[in-house]
Amino acid sequence: MIRLEHVSKSYRTSTRPALDDVTVAVGKGEFAFLIGPSGSGKSTLLRLLLREEVASRGDVYVADLNVGKLSQRRIPQLRQRVGCVFQDFRLLANKTVFENVAFALEVIGKPRHTIRKVVPEVLELVSLEGKADRMPHELSGGEQQRVAIARAFVNRPLVLLADEPTGNLDRDISHEIMLLLERINRTGTTVLMATHDHTIVDSMRRRVVELHLGQVIRDESRGVYGVSR
Amino acid sequence: MRASFVFSEVVTGLRRNVTMTVAMILTTAISLGLLGGGLLVVRTIDRMQQDYYQRVETVVYLSADISANDPGCTSSTCSALRGQLESAPGVQTVIFESRQAAFARFQRIFQGQPELLQLARPEALPASLRVQLSDPARFPSIAKAFTGRPGVDRVTDQGEYLRQLFRALDGLRNATFVIALIQALAALLLISNTIQISAFTRRAEVGVMRLTGASRWYTQLPFLLEAVVAGVVGGVLAIVGLIVGKVAFVDRVLAGVFEAAIVPRIGYGDIFSVAPILLLVGAVVAALTGYLTLRLYVRT
Repeated sequence: MIRLEHVSKSYRTSTRPALDDVTVAVGKGEFAFLIGPSGSGKSTLLRLLLREEVASRGDVYVADLNVGKLSQRRIPQLRQRVGCVFQDFRLLANKTVFENVAFALEVIGKPRHTIRKVVPEVLELVSLEGKADRMPHELSGGEQQRVAIARAFVNRPLVLLADEPTGNLDRDISHEIMLLLERINRTGTTVLMATHDHTIVDSMRRRVVELHLGQVIRDESRGVYGVSR
Repeated sequence: MRASFVFSEVVTGLRRNVTMTVAMILTTAISLGLLGGGLLVVRTIDRMQQDYYQRVETVVYLSADISANDPGCTSSTCSALRGQLESAPGVQTVIFESRQAAFARFQRIFQGQPELLQLARPEALPASLRVQLSDPARFPSIAKAFTGRPGVDRVTDQGEYLRQLFRALDGLRNATFVIALIQALAALLLISNTIQISAFTRRAEVGVMRLTGASRWYTQLPFLLEAVVAGVVGGVLAIVGLIVGKVAFVDRVLAGVFEAAIVPRIGYGDIFSVAPILLLVGAVVAALTGYLTLRLYVRT
């Protein structure tokens, strides 16, 4: 589902490449953690998958799309297949929970009757069915992240990317978010989550890909955060 | 594409930056108004030119001898000149004006200035052959052929005075266009700026749109339409401004000039024939500015 082949990414402002000859693949329906300290290249890898950046060398594939070679016009096709969630939620402050989730469908031109049907379903999935009319500032951090996940998932993407989704949340809430991501994973969605939250990684016992200075230094199918920390 | 969604985004955008929007619309309106004014001046000048050149004459002034002794153009010199003029190419009519007739016309023209009339004597005015040309541009060949001939004092072309007048009016028109152009530049910069601010204030929405796979058109059309709305509203205001300017200013100040048919009257028809040009220019220029701004400054 996700495949990187000898991918390097250098920025003009830095002498060291952010990613250095990375080859990694994540299969359909898999759940994988991408771990490593700040600056190890986790976010760069996610940005490549979203075509926010283009690799300096190597090929990036998401499903059947060669991401680096997509024309500007076809980038939306990629992003409609890849949902993403961030540490800072990125909700629209002037829209309700319902509107925030519906926005993701409106902007890709989904008809209104579909939106009215699908949005409540996904809100139920993230256990926010009673809060559709709330504004984001009326919600707790955990609830806001659940809205963000609902928005990322509402279009049923093939892949869900999560960049430090629990970074702003305390331990219990983080655990709830992880349960939710697991539930989404069980629907067949590939989940790739960048994190440096060792408690979560250790408790989940899922695949772990560790980056260090832009290189993959470990790839275990049922890993823990590790002792190198 | 859902029109209602794009439309609501446009309205939100215009409302959020209301001061910038107003500035953008007003500058566009003034610029288009000046453009419209310039176009109206051009139309008026064109009409005046047609009108005036039809009326102007080439005048062959006759010598003092003929003026004094030949009140009916019956002498061989005078009638020969007349005959040659009549058969010259491009000549429509030739009318003889005797010294007495010239003096009578002089008295008519200056009837408001009795002191001038008292001083004037018929002897000071020459008799003339007044020639109407089918094409004013033929004057040089007539002048060349008849200047210096026996019985001819000099050949003059009233069109020369008109050309001076129209040079002045052309200057007025060009000045209007230059101001319109400078103003248009300000309008373009303002439109560009407003779109950038609009895109900045909505960067969160745009960010989400990009990440959820909205197409470029979906993301950028609202901004583009904002610019077009401003351009069209500016155009409408410019047209209203021209109408108000006509009723409140031109019609009053130039009432006498219109009455005397010196300058043709500017009618509503003229304004309405300029109106579509203003609307089109407003919309197209705003759209192009918007498009370029989005290309250059806003990430997709």
